Amino acid sequence: MAKFEQKRDAQQSAKPAQPTARQDVKRPNGEIGWHPAWRWMVSLLIVVHVAAVFSAPWDLSTLAALPPGYQMGTDNLGRQVSLPPMDSEVWQQPIVPRNLRRFFRHYLNLMYLNHGYEFFAPDPGGSNLIRYQIRDSGGQEIAKGQFPDLTQQWPRLLYHRHMMLAAQTGEMGPESGRHYAHHLLNVNGGHTIRLEWLIHALLSPKQVADGTPLDAPQTYLVLANIEETAGARVGPPPGETSVTIPGGGR
Amino acid sequence: MGVLSDARGYVAECWQAWNRFWFGAVDPATLSLIRLLAGTMLFYTHLVWSLDLQAFIGQEGWLPVEYIRRIQDQQWSVQSVFFYIKPVWLLWTVHLFALVVFFCLMLGFFSRIMAVLGFLFAVSYAHRVSPGAFFGLDKINCMLAMYLMLGPCGARYSLDSVRRLRRGDTQPVAPSTAANLAVRLLQIHLCIIYLFSGLAKLTGENWHAGTAVWWALANLEYQSIDMTWLANHPILIAFATHVALFWELFYCALVWNRYTRSLVLWMAVFVHGGIALFMGMITFGLAMLIANLAFIKPATVRRWVGPVADRVALMLGGKTVKS
Repeated sequence: MAKFEQKRDAQQSAKPAQPTARQDVKRPNGEIGWHPAWRWMVSLLIVVHVAAVFSAPWDLSTLAALPPGYQMGTDNLGRQVSLPPMDSEVWQQPIVPRNLRRFFRHYLNLMYLNHGYEFFAPDPGGSNLIRYQIRDSGGQEIAKGQFPDLTQQWPRLLYHRHMMLAAQTGEMGPESGRHYAHHLLNVNGGHTIRLEWLIHALLSPKQVADGTPLDAPQTYLVLANIEETAGARVGPPPGETSVTIPGGGR
Repeated sequence: MGVLSDARGYVAECWQAWNRFWFGAVDPATLSLIRLLAGTMLFYTHLVWSLDLQAFIGQEGWLPVEYIRRIQDQQWSVQSVFFYIKPVWLLWTVHLFALVVFFCLMLGFFSRIMAVLGFLFAVSYAHRVSPGAFFGLDKINCMLAMYLMLGPCGARYSLDSVRRLRRGDTQPVAPSTAANLAVRLLQIHLCIIYLFSGLAKLTGENWHAGTAVWWALANLEYQSIDMTWLANHPILIAFATHVALFWELFYCALVWNRYTRSLVLWMAVFVHGGIALFMGMITFGLAMLIANLAFIKPATVRRWVGPVADRVALMLGGKTVKS
């Protein structure tokens, strides 16, 4: 490093400095820059930043595991019961990625780095759609539609944003669907709205080769219905929701 | 003693290699090209919000701020300027200001300041729609904006460079340590993304079975070009699936080797180009390709972009920079 500093000093004394801020203009490509102390400090920041970037997808891609050979309990008829609850001590948690991400969580949040990057993983699946029907106080239909809808949402990015709304309601829970319902009532007017949350199932290569179109009616499966009335308050789930699972008794 | 001196020599060599990797000065051409393209992407992405701004970004809309904050667990570190904006006129004012920032970043006008503001705005929009309407594009946009802040992203291909010419400064653009640092961090970040994207796919049975590409292409909501003719060519589907998975898994290793780098980057063009063309995610596909430019050497960038940039500089500034 001393050699480099000498070389730079020699260059700077031989040539008058530029009047601009680009005083290191003669530094050749690849030459190491910055004072060693500054480099040490930045190196530390690099390690911290890269560890943080690494910790988010690492944690999100790891799962708790049952011990090898763990025998699940059986019911009175000898049938295997479901897995132990997630807060059970029998689960082995991946403590390093969990703690690392917890340690960095505020930095990850501030920099919008708290992601798993699971593009099309673990498997590509069908898309969700939301269909709606709005009625006035007399029961007359005044609007209906669906999102995403290529004929209504343009450009493609806006369509994709609507597709995400339909897709992410599954992760957010039923309250998100109720908010969608009230937004649609606010925009279109009307007294009541009925939302259908669907999944568009995918067809196998054989089904397509046999001539079944991708939008065949049987590929649309209703996952939940939501009915809302204008003016109703939407808040945190109080233990009961207006979401009904078709075939579930409501 | 021999072991100690060998160890000391090894550590010294590692430190030198570390310094060369992170702190070697490079021409900021690569970073500048990424600024031009990422700035364009940021501008377009946020321009599209204008078509339904209140519904997506406003206080109420599809998902009210109060609900989003509750879902986000009210964490202080999840912040957005849009959490606090209530009047519609103010929402539009801030939005238009953000668009001006992204536009200036694209053109390279006060580039470093715009890069910092651009990053803050990009995160603000992303946090407002997460969860709800966010997807991979927002993650890549924020990542690109974050690293643009670190280096002289307006040193080339920018109005800043034209302004320097107009002031009579025709000196060559200086190699920059900060430009190298920004590009290196982007490279490492990209490797982490591909590694974990590949590892996540390993938990999917269809990626193992070689059918995952079919299920992606057979999704009508994503589809922009009908590729279902592949139903009669299962071997092509299997080949594409396996190649895509292995490419993602080994990207982080093969992209550093000069003999395999071009292969890996061409694969990126095919994979992300395919996602853009056939699956309707043009913006996301392009954003990933912009990020992959981090592995293009500045000399190559200058060879590609230089002639056009010189012509534009001559037109706007009346001079060109000395090479």
